[in-house]
Amino acid sequence: MSDAWIIVTEEKQVAALVAAAKGLGGKITAIAVGPRALADAAAIAGPDEVKWVDAKGIPVEAYAGSVARLVAAALPKVVVASGTVEGRVLAGATAARLGAAVIPGGLKLSALGDRTVVERADLDGRVVETIEAAGPVVTFYAGDDVASEGFAAVPVEPVGTDAAADILVEKTEPAAGAGAGINQAAVVVSVGRGLKKKDDLAIVHDLANALGAEIGCSMPVADDLGWVEKERYVGRSGQHIAPQLYIAIGIRGAPQHLEGIRDAKVVVGINNDPDAPIFKFADYGIVGDLYDVIPALQAALGK
Amino acid sequence: MKTVIVYKWARNAEDAVVRNDGTVDWRNAKMTAGEDDFAALEAAKAIAEGDELIGLTIGDGDASWALARGVLQTISVTDASNLTDNASTAAIIVAAMRQIGGVDAVVIGDSEEYAGVPVALAGQLGWPAIAHVSSASAVDGRVQVVRKQGSSEQTISIAAPAVIAVSAASPEKKTPGMKEQLAARKRPVTKLTLAAIGAASDDKVSSKGTRLPETAAARIFDGDPAAAAEQLVAALRGEGVL
Repeated sequence: MSDAWIIVTEEKQVAALVAAAKGLGGKITAIAVGPRALADAAAIAGPDEVKWVDAKGIPVEAYAGSVARLVAAALPKVVVASGTVEGRVLAGATAARLGAAVIPGGLKLSALGDRTVVERADLDGRVVETIEAAGPVVTFYAGDDVASEGFAAVPVEPVGTDAAADILVEKTEPAAGAGAGINQAAVVVSVGRGLKKKDDLAIVHDLANALGAEIGCSMPVADDLGWVEKERYVGRSGQHIAPQLYIAIGIRGAPQHLEGIRDAKVVVGINNDPDAPIFKFADYGIVGDLYDVIPALQAALGK
Repeated sequence: MKTVIVYKWARNAEDAVVRNDGTVDWRNAKMTAGEDDFAALEAAKAIAEGDELIGLTIGDGDASWALARGVLQTISVTDASNLTDNASTAAIIVAAMRQIGGVDAVVIGDSEEYAGVPVALAGQLGWPAIAHVSSASAVDGRVQVVRKQGSSEQTISIAAPAVIAVSAASPEKKTPGMKEQLAARKRPVTKLTLAAIGAASDDKVSSKGTRLPETAAARIFDGDPAAAAEQLVAALRGEGVL
């Protein structure tokens, strides 16, 4: 049994962070850094207590030193943060203060005597590695979201901070392509290097029209080839989208691409290589030549 | 600003072969330039703005990578190994940085696979950090960065010294030619050992092995395209997404 802290910087994964920490069997303290609403969301996600750092509109990273001091003072065996941009920075500072190991990709946590066992996704999710640590561990959670089970709210305790680091947001603008329909589309048909020439985009557009879908693409199609507008590139540094249906055509499924569709509800892969990574990520797949499959799909949709 | 670009500090996950039993064979893969290293170097050059830009690499990779891309001097900690604990990797980088001194900004690729290294590095230095940065520059003695957050793009100003973790928006367009490679060989590489910088190459954790994930494989329709397409459409209608 080990006590754990979770670092909360966004509402989305808070229930999953708590659920992961429960595997350790000890007391769970959440530290929420952001607006009061974030702390209130953490309070009903199942921890034993919630500490709240009011970010006062300053970038959350500015409080890394304060969060590290607060968490490290409790000497937890385990700290779980989400793998978000801000969560990682807070967790990195906390790890340094605690002298903890840092393990990204955490999926499942347990205590084995006085040791901590972390199962983590490694090698772009191709394997699960089991890691044991005798000392404190900080991990970034990389498992699935879980629904909150309707826990009774625990009290939220506001905590004071040291002076925030000198970090200022100078301006915030809509990102390039933020207005493109791909962000709101229920269905996205996306194309990759499997397409042989630009003119062949016509058949992809035909399919998209039949589905009422927006067009997306992998990075090389927008960046190297310039066949599709850059704002339609889906991936880690491109668009992160959450359509009901995502159809990846001729896209192998590089990790950076998959990161952009992590929140898609149903993913379909169409690729002529049965070993393409997309088939490990997708819900459905067709192994075949896209030039045969796309017309067949259109015909099937018309029935 | 005096800037350090950290590069080739980990092995590339794609160099690992996963066997059918879930064990991993790295096939003697060396430390390599990660997919974000080039974007990080571009950001580092912009922050340095003509001031000193120093390369820093750890492990057995070729240190000339940065030298062939315009960096004039580099430090290589040659006997560092690829570690599971990201904090231990960061500690090696921090120890090497102590050899440099007076640094205003450290720029490093924001690797997905080793997502803890840039932030552990910042924590151990006690410096503020901004991650997932797409571009950077020096403005009035501060570091200005741009990063994408959801559907918006933020311009953030951060006081030096700071750690900037950069994510690539596109791969390197043109790799150095023979002329640059030859020039790189003439530039100085300061080779250091872990012992010399007072660092250890010890993991704080131990790996108990790897296995294949239990993810449900995709339901695959193959064979005749027409039949496969009909089965897929029926399945998607059943899911309620068509």
